[in-house]
Amino acid sequence: MSTPLIEAVDLCKYFKTPKGMLHAVENVSFKIEEGKTLGVVGESGCGKSTLGRTVLRLHKATSGKVLYKGEDVLSFSKSEMHKLHRNMQMIFQDPYSSLDPRMSVRALISEPLSGLPKSERMSPAQEKESVDHIMEMCGLPAHYANLYPHELDGGMRQRVGLARSMILDPRFIVCDEPVSALDVSIQAQILNLLMDLQDEHKLSYMFITHDLAVVKHISDDIMVMYMGQVVEYASSATLFANPMHPYTVALLNSIPTIDLSKRNRERITIHGEISSPVNPKPGCRFAPRCPYASEECRNEHKLVEVESGHYAACTKGVR
Amino acid sequence: MSDYLLEVNDLHVQYNTDDSVVHALNGLNLRLKEGEKLGLVGETGAGKTTLALSILRLLPKVGQIVSGSIKYKGEELLDKNEAYMLGLRGRRVSMIFQDPMTSLNPVKTVGNQILEVLNLHFPDLSKDEKEKKVDEMLQLVGIPASRKGEFPHQFSGGMKQRVVIAMALIAEPELLLADEPTTALDVTIQAQIMALMGQLKEKFNSAVLLITHDLGVVAEFCDTVSVIYAGRVVEHGAVEDIFMGNENHPYTKGLIGCIPDLSKDEDRLHPIPGSMVDARSIPEGCAFADRCPHCMDICRKIIPEEHVNGTHSVFCHLYDAIKEGEK
Amino acid sequence: MRKKKTLSEYSTGELVLYRFRKNKLAMLGVAMFLFVALFILFAPLIRPYDTVVKQNIADRLQGPSSEYIFGTDELGRDLFSRILYGGRISLFCSLAIIAIAFVSGALIGGAAGFFGGKVDTVLMRIVDMLMSVPSALLAMAIITALGNGVWKLVLALAIGQIPRFARMVRSSVITLRNMEYVEAARCFGISSMKIMLKHILPNGIGPIVVSATLTLGAVILSISSMGYLGLGVASPTPEWGTIISENKVNIQYYPYLGIIPGICIMLTVMSVNFIGDGLRDAFDPKSKN
Repeated sequence: MSTPLIEAVDLCKYFKTPKGMLHAVENVSFKIEEGKTLGVVGESGCGKSTLGRTVLRLHKATSGKVLYKGEDVLSFSKSEMHKLHRNMQMIFQDPYSSLDPRMSVRALISEPLSGLPKSERMSPAQEKESVDHIMEMCGLPAHYANLYPHELDGGMRQRVGLARSMILDPRFIVCDEPVSALDVSIQAQILNLLMDLQDEHKLSYMFITHDLAVVKHISDDIMVMYMGQVVEYASSATLFANPMHPYTVALLNSIPTIDLSKRNRERITIHGEISSPVNPKPGCRFAPRCPYASEECRNEHKLVEVESGHYAACTKGVR
Repeated sequence: MSDYLLEVNDLHVQYNTDDSVVHALNGLNLRLKEGEKLGLVGETGAGKTTLALSILRLLPKVGQIVSGSIKYKGEELLDKNEAYMLGLRGRRVSMIFQDPMTSLNPVKTVGNQILEVLNLHFPDLSKDEKEKKVDEMLQLVGIPASRKGEFPHQFSGGMKQRVVIAMALIAEPELLLADEPTTALDVTIQAQIMALMGQLKEKFNSAVLLITHDLGVVAEFCDTVSVIYAGRVVEHGAVEDIFMGNENHPYTKGLIGCIPDLSKDEDRLHPIPGSMVDARSIPEGCAFADRCPHCMDICRKIIPEEHVNGTHSVFCHLYDAIKEGEK
Repeated sequence: MRKKKTLSEYSTGELVLYRFRKNKLAMLGVAMFLFVALFILFAPLIRPYDTVVKQNIADRLQGPSSEYIFGTDELGRDLFSRILYGGRISLFCSLAIIAIAFVSGALIGGAAGFFGGKVDTVLMRIVDMLMSVPSALLAMAIITALGNGVWKLVLALAIGQIPRFARMVRSSVITLRNMEYVEAARCFGISSMKIMLKHILPNGIGPIVVSATLTLGAVILSISSMGYLGLGVASPTPEWGTIISENKVNIQYYPYLGIIPGICIMLTVMSVNFIGDGLRDAFDPKSKN
């Protein structure tokens, strides 16, 4: 196999808090090939957003490596950082707070260009042309260029967010819950747009979301996280067809469905709630909520390749 | 002669801002029987929360009920004075808000916040009786009574929402208005909270008006569904009519089509084109016309009438044509 | 939307100007300020300087008349001339004080808020130390050390105002620094300096400008209290606050002596407040028009 576009190796991110070390991301490894999407799923506080930000160096990693085409981006010096910014971008969750309210759509979209090193800057005419081009690509009517964010609705704002990330023509985009703030009818528009852009530009995505239904659609591989740990990692089809970790199973079970025949299905509901991994004990962090937890669960947590390409930290969810 | 617990007829509500008038509700009709679980589905800006606030007469100052009626057990609420409404709110009709983080007072213990409801509506109970009721209620929502001396910040999101539910149900209301009660919560917690609401609803036999944008939640929880768009109901029916029938309103069809289906492998989703109408200028005719794949000339001129078929009713010109054809 | 089309051909700067011009209250503020400022600026053309100090005991405590349009004080000096020339010092000093305090406060607070951590702790403890000394006492100490003089007065009072600006700027920078659009900008590789100038400054400046204009009134008054303590601008040059305080014995029976300079202070402060409010709205694209 060739070098994957993006690879993370044993990535850790701890935060210092007054109560102790918060293990937000612990020993996470993954690979994303060119043109593919990795879905990262989990509930709030599971570390999925922190993971995305650590990969892009918005947080400083505690340990581990992030390789872009084999180069460790975490060891880039300041003068090499533009390589990262050029190729690795991010789309934010909240289309309201991620756009500066005082900038017009044109200014917002061209902003990333002003961060380029001087040698790569465009002339104003080229800049205008590339903004126009990117707007069309993202389905933004040309006359929107002079509007301000508050004049747009959520879907259009998210298109602006997408256009900003696309203007540097990156290879890899971290999408942090890009559709969860949008209405369902708009969600589908944005997801389709993301998929179209991926096909045209051979983009790779890391798609962070709490919504399994959304992630199934767009992802090739899916990684399920719980309190900073990866509990299951498999191809999208495998994960949905054959979930193994009790948490994955519970998560799948909790999704409300419009299929009335499943209305009275038996559910394995899990009790309790996620807490924060401050000074965590060893072992599986899901154990306190897990219906099948045994003594050994509290001692060890290790991802095992249960079948080809399907990694799970536990297989007790299989029934 | 009222078969209905709550009956909303042709309700028009608008918000008057400095430079424009926002038409939030434009002739909304709603019927809710005692003990029924009605889901009110719509997207941002459809007027869902405005309806709940109108029923409780808690609209902000800029909000104005222009016309229509809201009958509760046959009595017109819009004619009642504030004192009557005070006795109604929290006692006979309670509301659960979307965000449990902000709907609790951070400087009061949760026990006292629940107690406050009792003090307000049952001043005759002795102190011990009230305390006992609070303890029972907390147990019912799955919180150990020993935690009633704690403050909201010591509770997690799901636990806070349980406290809010306890507050809403302690007076054993006849009607519970739940405005997006689980939107701020994670899916596993959402499942817990919806299950809890289902159990408690059975216990107290309250009617529930569940306001949400999530069709899945509605399909799992409700008996009947009203779909609203731009301040009007476009379709109403039993859950079976909505999710298994084939005479849906194009908007409902669109909404259902937007949900990624976990059981199918599809490459593309089927979004509804365009975006929500601007509530400052609601078009003539059917408000959905601009986004509708079946839009006809008549749709832009006349607001469609109700087409009733058993428990199911649709407001769409598409079904005029079918009926004409049948004749 | 269609109306916006014509508007959208303007650049951002033009739009700000356009919105500012559309704001009636702000334009009134500008008019009032110009009115006061022009009188003060061209004072020598209106009254010769010696009328400020010329005493005319025969005409003492005369009410406003055609000869003395604002009347005279207890030494028979022309109040109108005194206000004209006094305004030069009041206005100049207060604007200079605000400017110095604003700029240095913004730099300190901005650095503390943006960099956080140790920089924040050190800078803010210094600011707290400054804050713990009453500003009048601080100014007195500085003037006593440096001696009297216009610039020394400005410096002394400006230092006392720095903490409030630093605190204010710091808290708004901290709020803005955590906004997602700042994170987005970092993601694009925009430098800290640029983020500061392009995102944080324009979004945070509004309330601070307004507060600066509100402080102006207090500063005019504190200049006068310095004058009253004998630490202000050396007499005989008058200044608005001094004019009020030197006439305070007579105000009860000759109220114009207090009312007229008071109105001057009020007009100036009000006009600057209107301008400040107008600027804040003009910078905000969400405002109407």
